[in-house]
Amino acid sequence: MEPDKDNANPTILNPSDLPSRRRESSVKKREDGGTGLFDDLVSSYNYLGDPFERPVSSSDSDDDSVEDIDEQEIYDLISSISDPEHPLSLGSLAVVNLPDIRILPPTSPHSSISTVVVEITPTITHCSLATVIGLGVRVRLEQALPPRFRVDVRIKKGTHSTDEAVNKQLGDKERVAAALENGTLMGVLRKMLSTCE
Amino acid sequence: MSDIQLYLLEYDRNKREASAIAQQSATRLQKAELKLLMLIEELGEYFNSEDGAIRSKTLSYLAEVLSFIPQKVLSLQQRNLLCEFVLSRIENDVDGLGSCAKGLLALEELGKWDNGRVTKIVETLLQNTHPLRQYKLQSERYPVLQLIDTMMAKYRDALRTFHDITPDFMSRFISYFDGEKDPRNLMVVFSILRVPMTEWSIGADAQDLFDAVFNYFPITFRPPPDDPYGITAQHLKDRLRDCIASTPDFAPYAFPALLDKLDSTSMNTKRDVLQAITSSVIEYGPHTVSLYSITLWDALKFEVLNVQEEDLAQEALNGLAAIAKSLSQGTSGSLNAYLRPVTKECNEHLEDAPTKQSQASGRILHKIAGVSAEVANITLARVLPNIFLLFQTADTIAKRRGLLEVLVQLIRANIEVYGDWRSIGMMRERTPPNALAQFRDQTIEVMSNGLSTAPIKEVSFRLVCLDGLLQLSKTRQLLSDEDIERIIQLFHAIVINEESYGKDEIKEAAINGLVEIAHQKPQVVVDKAFPAFMAELPDSDVDQPKGYVPVLEAFAKLGNEEKIFDTVILRLKNKFSSAVKQNASSAYIVALLSAILYALNQGANKLEQNPESSPYYNDIVLPLLSRASSSDASHPKAFDDETTLDLVGRICNIIIRPQPLEQQNKISAELYTLFRGTSQTDLPPFYTIASLEKTKNMIISTHVLASFRREVVLPCDIQVLISSLIDFSQQPFLSSPVRSASLRQISLIVNKFIPTSSLKSYLESMLHVSTGLLNPEKLNPPRIRIIFAALKGLVLRNSALLSTIYPALLSFLSHPIHGETVALGFTTLLQPDDLLMKQNHCQISGLHKQKSFALLVPNITTSFREASVEMKPNYLIALSGVLKWMPFEIVVEEVRQLVPLLLQSLDMKGEDLVKEAAIGTLTSILQERPKQIEEHAGSVISRLLNNSTPAAQTKSVGGLGKETMQNTPPRVRATALRCLTLVPEKLRQEIVLPYRRQVVKKLTAALDDRKREVRGAAVRCRSRWMDVDEVGDD
Repeated sequence: MEPDKDNANPTILNPSDLPSRRRESSVKKREDGGTGLFDDLVSSYNYLGDPFERPVSSSDSDDDSVEDIDEQEIYDLISSISDPEHPLSLGSLAVVNLPDIRILPPTSPHSSISTVVVEITPTITHCSLATVIGLGVRVRLEQALPPRFRVDVRIKKGTHSTDEAVNKQLGDKERVAAALENGTLMGVLRKMLSTCE
Repeated sequence: MSDIQLYLLEYDRNKREASAIAQQSATRLQKAELKLLMLIEELGEYFNSEDGAIRSKTLSYLAEVLSFIPQKVLSLQQRNLLCEFVLSRIENDVDGLGSCAKGLLALEELGKWDNGRVTKIVETLLQNTHPLRQYKLQSERYPVLQLIDTMMAKYRDALRTFHDITPDFMSRFISYFDGEKDPRNLMVVFSILRVPMTEWSIGADAQDLFDAVFNYFPITFRPPPDDPYGITAQHLKDRLRDCIASTPDFAPYAFPALLDKLDSTSMNTKRDVLQAITSSVIEYGPHTVSLYSITLWDALKFEVLNVQEEDLAQEALNGLAAIAKSLSQGTSGSLNAYLRPVTKECNEHLEDAPTKQSQASGRILHKIAGVSAEVANITLARVLPNIFLLFQTADTIAKRRGLLEVLVQLIRANIEVYGDWRSIGMMRERTPPNALAQFRDQTIEVMSNGLSTAPIKEVSFRLVCLDGLLQLSKTRQLLSDEDIERIIQLFHAIVINEESYGKDEIKEAAINGLVEIAHQKPQVVVDKAFPAFMAELPDSDVDQPKGYVPVLEAFAKLGNEEKIFDTVILRLKNKFSSAVKQNASSAYIVALLSAILYALNQGANKLEQNPESSPYYNDIVLPLLSRASSSDASHPKAFDDETTLDLVGRICNIIIRPQPLEQQNKISAELYTLFRGTSQTDLPPFYTIASLEKTKNMIISTHVLASFRREVVLPCDIQVLISSLIDFSQQPFLSSPVRSASLRQISLIVNKFIPTSSLKSYLESMLHVSTGLLNPEKLNPPRIRIIFAALKGLVLRNSALLSTIYPALLSFLSHPIHGETVALGFTTLLQPDDLLMKQNHCQISGLHKQKSFALLVPNITTSFREASVEMKPNYLIALSGVLKWMPFEIVVEEVRQLVPLLLQSLDMKGEDLVKEAAIGTLTSILQERPKQIEEHAGSVISRLLNNSTPAAQTKSVGGLGKETMQNTPPRVRATALRCLTLVPEKLRQEIVLPYRRQVVKKLTAALDDRKREVRGAAVRCRSRWMDVDEVGDD
């Protein structure tokens, strides 16, 4: 038991209600509205194919369509981070929410730098671990996004008693770098990120 | 020299030799060549030696001799004398205790002791060797413990009586074992002490006895790597737990001590505590448990309400359930006293659902309510009114969802106790009536309303409602058929009428729910849901949108349930007939055929049960065949399409397959005519210039041929049939599916219908190197196809001919024109096949993959080295075709030779399938035999990195690649990244560490891949590599 938990009894969202990427590709293709139940009746490598002719690689044509990094993808990257207090994901605790993630395009046509803005919502307004959570989100995104993205993680306005102070900390590059030198803190972050897929 | 002298000499040099000497002495005693008296006399001098070591070796000799003596050689008197003698040694000598105990054990083997003897031995041990820990060698103490354990086992009454009449015996006995630390000895100590715990009246000694074992709690022992006795921590934990749970007399000491240790920060300790509590609750009985139930609840609940580790919560739940179970065997007062605080606290947590603790409350209630009918009913009566009250006043759907989740948990627990419609659960004769019945109407109302009126985007809320209704309809004798009908209506309305939303979880749950209800109440589903489904399926779809597919899918799934399978098939078949009559579109006809095939596949077992009485041959197969072969109005347009005919063929196949031989013989005569009433000589494959339309029916014939038993009489001579098929399949005008079908008939015939005795002569003429298909001058793609088709049949039956055919075929890999075509063919040989399989009566040898691997792979690796640069790719293609389907256990033999070839495959350009297969094999090697890759780590890593980005490679290794520049496709990129993720997991850190910086840097490119799947793999891969220098800390 850890009586010193800030919020021992947080509200939990059900996985079915969390935002997820619809299986767009499969949904779009199926004009008939089915689920593809009958697609596997004839196995994909059945005798009717001709292995002697070079397969026209269908993936080549697929390769042309570009799937851009979008808000949902950012959400998927960070929603599986564990809360430092509970063995629950930031997504199911509603600490990170899809509508609070924005991708800002490059500010000028000459720049290739996009910005990802993530606003996190602590489970309670005096959560002492908000900074750690913010740091975890930041580290995760910096590791997982290509360098053409700037990452901006902040506490959602009005959800924390000291949100401005925390935001200052999270936005200060040098303080973030210094924090990452701290062994204990890195240990906590590693544990949080270990549940990420 | 006397035996004892020899023994003493050998003792330190060679234990086995020494034992042999003792054995000799024993044999001499048995043959009466040696008198016992003589033996003892010879020993006398050594027993009196100044040197303790010699005295103890002498005792060891005596013990060994005694252990080798068979029964009945020594008289009772002699044994008594020996016993006295050994005991006197114990009294007078500190050395040789272990051997004394061994000697006594040997004597006991030779004849039962009387009670006096047993108590004397115990008394002697306690008086002279107490405490046992003064003997420093564990091997010295072990025989003593074994001796006591044996006496405990065989002379229980004697020792118990001795305990009863000797006031201080118990305390001396307990302290005798104090301080034992050796795990093997401890195992025996636990087993010894468990006897007084369970069988003796221990009274005032209970606490000492408890402390004697609990001092060892928790067990933190970790066995040394080369432990000869194989004792694990788990063995010790199990015995210790058995001791703690052995008697209710321990309760006053055990529960406080265990709960004290529950505050430990070590998860292992907590786990042991929780398991010990559960075992104790089970063993101590309701009376004792009732005294501690509330204390235990107060401690255990925290483990569930504030989960630290999931398995600890599970153990705590087991403990709480064990208490409830134990108490439901006792008085109702004590059960109520326990359940009152439990339900009270859970009710409180439900007030702010959905929270972590309201979820935990649901788990607690579910676990407890599932132990007995009494508990289930009390829980329901205390919790349900509160849930309904909170539900009415709840202000959010999330809260209502949280509440209903708990309600569903309680219904599930109810099914565990009261059973479902098909099984009676744990009900006993005098089970009280189900209290859920009182809440039935309210529960149905709440959930039905929730399911039908909540907005469609409230997925989780509606899922809970749906699950709740499903569980209610399953609960034994709870709902009336009318209630269940209404639930079915709700479900099929969702499947049929609701628009698609998100991942369609609700629709899927609804259809699965219908299948589950069909398992419980088949007739209700047939009566209620079937008409609704049928009404949604048009006879003709000409003017209607394609809304029928989801309905058909759902309906076909219902065929899963055995009891309604026949009805499902019948309705689908009727729908198919009317659709054909009404000129429905081809798409609709294909969908109906797919649904029939899907349902038949699900019920394949049922079809095999009594094929003779199955109506499906006459009802389905014959009409389908006549439609396919006719050319008048009854021939639907859809039947001109090869894929439709393939479906038709598969439906016929699955029905004909189990038919008896005579029936199949009748069908065989019509294999190619398909009951059209003409002679087969006018039809393919015998008539090679048949119209394109007629050739298409070869697809159906192929499936029908596949369904036949091996003994079936074919419609003409085999040799004629094969050569017709060979000629036919080479006709240039054939469509690709028809050609494949004809080739597959050759495979089927070679595999099933040619007896082993004539196989050689048939195949040799067919595949002759100068006059037959294997003539290199006449090689062309059609002939190559036929060769591989025939081989496919041979490979599966593991024919001996392979060893001559394979080398000829491999030599074609260097064929200037057709080498590549041959190379591509190798993938067909071992590819899984849905026609050549056991169910189709084919000959499938269990070892065929091993055999082909042994005949092909070493040959390919050697020829690869000798092949010219232009031909090398062909060998890699062939190799990947073989490896693609090979289980890794077989591949493992050749890993060392294969790795260089696999690496070269990764340098090829354009050969994406070869690359993918090579990466697949590398992945398996990494998983199973990482050591074999260590020396190639650098090459593996750089090649995987190269394949992780789409950019075309500029490097050309050994002139291997093709001229065309092609990008690496996303599939290969993702596979390469997944393989690269394994590298740091499977190879030793010192090997991968030097590459870390380079890999992490290069992977940033893959993070920006155009495909989401590749990016995902890159993120995982990169984070795995970033962790590299940090592993080893834990």
